[in-house]
Amino acid sequence: MNRSLGAYADIVGTPVIQQLRALGEILRGIKVVHVNSTSEGGGVAEILTWMVPLMRDLGLDANWKVIRGTPTFFSITKSIHNGLQGKSVSLTKKEWDSYYEVNAQNFSEMKEVLEKADIVVIHDPQPAPMLGLCPNKRGRWIWRAHIDISRPARSIWRTLRSYVEKYDASIFSMSQFAQLLPHPQFIIAPSIDPLSEKNMDLDQSELEQVREEFGLDPDRPLLVQISRFDRFKDPVGVVQAYHLVRKVLPVQLVLAGGGATDDPEGAEILDEVREAAGDDPDVHVLLLPSDAHRTVNVLQRLADIVIQKSTREGFGLTVTEGLWKGKPVIGGDVGGIPLQVTNHHTGYLINTPEGAAHRVRYLLHHRDTMQRMGKTAREFVRDNFLLTRHLRDYLTLFAWVLKGEGKHTIMI
Amino acid sequence: MSPFEIKDCALLRQMSGLPPAVNLRELRERIAACSPDVLYHHFCDTQLAPSTDYPDYRNDFAIWARRRLGDQIVAERLGMIDPYVFPSMEELRQVTLDIIDERLSEAFMVPWARPGHEFYFMQAVTVVFDTGKRVTRPDELASAISLMANGSIYFHVLEARRRNPMGVDDFSAWLQGLEGDWERYMKAIREIDVTFHTLAEVKSELVEAVGVS
Repeated sequence: MNRSLGAYADIVGTPVIQQLRALGEILRGIKVVHVNSTSEGGGVAEILTWMVPLMRDLGLDANWKVIRGTPTFFSITKSIHNGLQGKSVSLTKKEWDSYYEVNAQNFSEMKEVLEKADIVVIHDPQPAPMLGLCPNKRGRWIWRAHIDISRPARSIWRTLRSYVEKYDASIFSMSQFAQLLPHPQFIIAPSIDPLSEKNMDLDQSELEQVREEFGLDPDRPLLVQISRFDRFKDPVGVVQAYHLVRKVLPVQLVLAGGGATDDPEGAEILDEVREAAGDDPDVHVLLLPSDAHRTVNVLQRLADIVIQKSTREGFGLTVTEGLWKGKPVIGGDVGGIPLQVTNHHTGYLINTPEGAAHRVRYLLHHRDTMQRMGKTAREFVRDNFLLTRHLRDYLTLFAWVLKGEGKHTIMI
Repeated sequence: MSPFEIKDCALLRQMSGLPPAVNLRELRERIAACSPDVLYHHFCDTQLAPSTDYPDYRNDFAIWARRRLGDQIVAERLGMIDPYVFPSMEELRQVTLDIIDERLSEAFMVPWARPGHEFYFMQAVTVVFDTGKRVTRPDELASAISLMANGSIYFHVLEARRRNPMGVDDFSAWLQGLEGDWERYMKAIREIDVTFHTLAEVKSELVEAVGVS
């Protein structure tokens, strides 16, 4: 994707674009290098795919470098990743040495560009040792943690911390995800791209086509939860909520997501969901491929109510996507969902299948409330969770680290 | 006549370094010890933060007390604090502590939050920049405001109250320094109750206040 900022003007409004251009002017010509571990697939690559071109469009000299590694290296970094997210894992000294060595090899290839950069953003743990390998750095180095490291495996965090504590600043997606570090820690929430396949406006004819493909009845309300078949997303709880509603209202349910094919627990959860659904033709359990973005978009748009009944959650971008499609969201009161769902305004926060069923019934009997919430929801996302806000946060951080570190307010 | 310089600002939230609070007593202890920037952020920056659209109350302490401690009484008391009427952050701090102390002395047990719903103490850095745009005549103000980003509204209306020695917004301060009788506009601007408005709503109220001939 190589869209220019102007492509978003009709969606976010001219003042937002002008604000970004003004910030871009302040930072014109600065050399920014992002470093991560993959050029495609995964959330970080998705972000950098739009962020780097948009930074260039604003006049920054933005660059994106991807580290290369052996399967062993990526197996080690997968363990680090899991350990940071709380799984009980440990690595041997030899594995840590191997991790460092691959970083050293990559650094030697990127040395020149990293040494000359005004800002280097290192994404996630894979390239974290890069800073220590760059004694002749000129610029400011920022570590960006995209994952929840609030409850890490201690041995993993102890070693990784020795790399990341030397950075000039770090970024986390939510305050709950952060670890105490001896440098400024900023909070930058994730965002969605309103022009991506998953979020772009679609023709009604395409919606009708998918509705027909999945055998959905246009005359009855539709509840949709999009998520991996993962225990923490509580898909069985969603089916239970559906059953409670179904006793009194003729609703349909779609549970759609991926994650079962290569994940033993995912397959187990999928079996549990199918068992809970039984032979009810109005419960549609859809195992979608990971690139079915457009189908997800359609299903969210076909929904009357979007559900995200998680019992543990990260930021919850599927909630953001549902809100952006103008749907009230009934979501678990966990993770980043309460940052997006405000009771009576953009949806309802719930804790149990009973709570979800109660709110579904209420909303289906109050269509005007649903419409009002949907409108509020879309505007809330427009103001806070589109990629333009995400870009602004990065530019603000760059301006702060380059021009005003240590001050509460800087005037430029 | 000096033109009105339209500024804009962007805010970035930062961890304060204080441990999170899990109950009302810990909230009190942290508020007593936190920096003025932390206090300012939780009372005054809420309109630029994404998580508080249409809150029950307009400061983070009251919202947390209501939503996570389930203590509506202290939430109502904290929620009525207007941070802009205090000449200093220390006085604002003292009033906040008094309210919490009063509640702690009344309550049979210390209200507490479930794990995962702790209060995180934050502060913000604000980058203010010149948009390069100028308003030279009062009759241009309405159209200029209608084109402003939310950051400009925040800076010229809310942040200005902390910055200006008179504790007023930048628009009416500018009008006050002009020749001519702009009292009606100044009064209309200063009568806008920003407490329960989003920045977009403040903007449309401002346009209305200065757009009526």
